[in-house]
Amino acid sequence: MSLTELSQAVDITLANLSILKTGKARAVRFSTLEAICKTLHCQPGDILVFKEEDD
Amino acid sequence: MLQKDRLIKTSRLVVRSGFIMNRLFLAAVVSGLLLSLLFSSPLTKLLVQQSPGDDARSQMTGLRLMLLLGIAMSVAIDRMFVALTQIIETARAGDPFIGANARRLQTIGWALLGLQILDIPAALIERFFPSMGMGTPDSAFSAAGWLAVLMVFVLSRVFAVGSSMREELEGTV
Repeated sequence: MSLTELSQAVDITLANLSILKTGKARAVRFSTLEAICKTLHCQPGDILVFKEEDD
Repeated sequence: MLQKDRLIKTSRLVVRSGFIMNRLFLAAVVSGLLLSLLFSSPLTKLLVQQSPGDDARSQMTGLRLMLLLGIAMSVAIDRMFVALTQIIETARAGDPFIGANARRLQTIGWALLGLQILDIPAALIERFFPSMGMGTPDSAFSAAGWLAVLMVFVLSRVFAVGSSMREELEGTV
């Protein structure tokens, strides 16, 4: 699935999807997370990874 | 939306006119004060001729104090108009909920507070210079004025919290 197709399925803009992909988003709405998981048939843990940032 | 645009345009025009008139008033009052200092004796003589029974020196001092009061009031009003113009410009640009407007509202609050406090010297001039007669400033206590000061400070706080919440929401997808 391309980014454009995903953005259409999730109903968010391509720009915002790109922000999510590059990790530049400061926060994610539960509704966005739910829509992505629904479209990709996955769990939040499958698309979210915690990385400790270097100080 | 059209009505809102008209409201902003009208407010802009009113504030702009008020700003210009206040600056003209300030220039006139400063000139008046300077003239009263430069031409003190001819003016005192003129006052004696106008009302021979009254104390001309007292009238002159009262007049100068009133002019000083006028300058202070005009400066406070000027600060208010400048802040208000900037707020209207942000509303015109479609983005008024910013931290800068919270600070501008606070400036307006301080200016209004200053104007309320200036009622005290105005009342003192009225009390100690009765020879000024009708020339004394109107210094009646205004509950609405004090309430306006409080409201503007509260509104400023609301704006500050709101803009900070908005900043937090920016970047949310």
